[in-house]
Amino acid sequence: MASIDPAFIFITDLIAIFSIYAIINLSLNLEFGYGGIPNFGKVLAVGAGAFVAASVPGRIIASIANIEGDYIQNNLSVVAAADIWIIDNIGLTLVIFLFTFVIAAVVGGGLGALTSYPALRLRGDYLAITLLAFGESIRIIGNNFPPLVGGTLGVQVPDPLSFVPDELRFPTASIILIVMAAVAYLYCEMTIRSPLGRSLRAVRDNELASASLGKDTGRVRMKTIIVASALAAIAGALYAIYTGSTIAIAFDRSSWTFWPFLMILIGGLANNKGVLVGTLLFVTLRKVIIFFKDSFEWVVPFDVVWLDMLLLGAILLVVLLFRPQGVIVEKPTHTLGQKTKAKGVVRIFNLLFR
Amino acid sequence: MINPVFFDAAVFASLLVLLSLGLTLTYLTTKVPNFAHASFATLGVYMTLIAVRVWDTNPYIAVPIAFLLSGLVAITLYVFILKPLARRGATEAIQMIATLAFDMILIAGLNIMADYLTEGFRIKSREFTLRSYDLEFMDLPMIVFIAPIAVAAIGITLYFILKKTKFGIAVRASTENPDLSGTVGINVNAVYGVAWMIAGGLAGVAGALMALWFLGDPNLGPLLLPSIFAASIAGGLMSIFGAVAGGLLVGLAEVLGTRFLAGELGSWLIAYRPLIPLIIIAVTLLFVPNGIAGIDWSKLRSKIWRR
Repeated sequence: MASIDPAFIFITDLIAIFSIYAIINLSLNLEFGYGGIPNFGKVLAVGAGAFVAASVPGRIIASIANIEGDYIQNNLSVVAAADIWIIDNIGLTLVIFLFTFVIAAVVGGGLGALTSYPALRLRGDYLAITLLAFGESIRIIGNNFPPLVGGTLGVQVPDPLSFVPDELRFPTASIILIVMAAVAYLYCEMTIRSPLGRSLRAVRDNELASASLGKDTGRVRMKTIIVASALAAIAGALYAIYTGSTIAIAFDRSSWTFWPFLMILIGGLANNKGVLVGTLLFVTLRKVIIFFKDSFEWVVPFDVVWLDMLLLGAILLVVLLFRPQGVIVEKPTHTLGQKTKAKGVVRIFNLLFR
Repeated sequence: MINPVFFDAAVFASLLVLLSLGLTLTYLTTKVPNFAHASFATLGVYMTLIAVRVWDTNPYIAVPIAFLLSGLVAITLYVFILKPLARRGATEAIQMIATLAFDMILIAGLNIMADYLTEGFRIKSREFTLRSYDLEFMDLPMIVFIAPIAVAAIGITLYFILKKTKFGIAVRASTENPDLSGTVGINVNAVYGVAWMIAGGLAGVAGALMALWFLGDPNLGPLLLPSIFAASIAGGLMSIFGAVAGGLLVGLAEVLGTRFLAGELGSWLIAYRPLIPLIIIAVTLLFVPNGIAGIDWSKLRSKIWRR
């Protein structure tokens, strides 16, 4: 254990956090970049996903494996026993965690449907305020209702990778996460190239015109929010499982709503490649600041975390003022000209790089 | 002896009135909800802390300083960020995100200041209370009287400024129709700038007074924000008088409503107090989207009268 290179840990953690944020940002880009819906309550879906991951699989395993004790009260011992059980039951564990992702997606999608209720009825600014307020509620409820995620104490989450040797646990998790992020990327690219994606952009650019052409603008928006929230919930569940614990207070507005907005704005709105670039820039910058935190801790008379926040706020303002289109600019839609449909590998290549 | 919960309610409601007044004023000018508004108040909280603990003076000295400081910060946000963005045709959402970014910077700055106060002056600068530094009046803390009186005075002054002075007419004209006001010789930018200064200043005053009754912390802004927005939305977001009514409604509902419900249903309910502004926002937007100011009272009265 002691011989692991710190640079190696740095990179595996970077990849994991990048992948999780990439999924959230792709979903936010679907809503805000392509759909023009300012979802200032992104934390709602992310938090819901994390709460599902923190409360569902542990309880299922505890009941299957007949582990004694209350899941919240004796959380540490129950989760430790569950981790041991996982080592001998890899197949069943896989099923349980897949089931968890399904529940997370369903809960996220349900909250998305709830979110879309005001989203279809309110104008931009009122909507933003309402969604912001909705987003706050997840933390308040999680913090004060212990049966969910242990209230102020938080809970441990059983680790589906318990069977992997300790030194390989984090690299394995990073590989799984980056594969998930790649799948999410492909899914988002496919969505925006689908009829739904095109009508979404049409609704964003001119609602009246698209409505007059027979598009049900409300339905298009609602579908988008539901899909995006389900994706964000899966990302939240991945985060909870990756970190191995969940505490309600961590699901605050700045980490899961403001930073995703920052990343997609730096990268460029309505542009999935830009989202990846923005996410990578942001996550790397933050990790580097935290990594070198100790070396200039004594230079300044305050906690370096605040310098980090100051810097990120300032960067966002500079981007908004001087390069509002972000690093990579949205491309105009190409619908004509692609006469022959590419097949197989070429099609995937096109999705990734064109 | 009066139950202290009524003092809580009176102080909180008055300060919420000041904050929602300011928020509504800025919303009227730029049509962008300012998410940094609550942190202007936190600046005021720290002015009081500095006045009391560093300078060892009367806490009320901090009030005018907080007005100036928060006013200047608000003007900075308007002149250097929101105005250029609006000129470049940035959407509403982008401008809202800009105010969020500004809020981040403010909160970071406040935290740095809090760390500095602790390091440099050995002062408790997080979750501090200054109640014991307040003056006394009729055996009660002075803030209990000052807060409602100050709010009433500011409300009346603002009313007269807006209704009776040339400047007030200019403000109302420029919010109603900026282009037309520009053509008749009103300097719309200057008017908006002053409106932002006043709004920020009022938030600073609210913060400076709040420090004498509630816990102070650099991260107060995000906690306070839903209440302020609930107050403004309940008031209709477009009406100064609606903001006063909304502030009173939300302030009293939060403090007295929670206490009453907790008495009826059990004390576990107190922790859910932050949900009250959220419920008020949802109910207002669903049933009375134009807020208190938008209700046609005479119609409502005649309806009830007939029954």
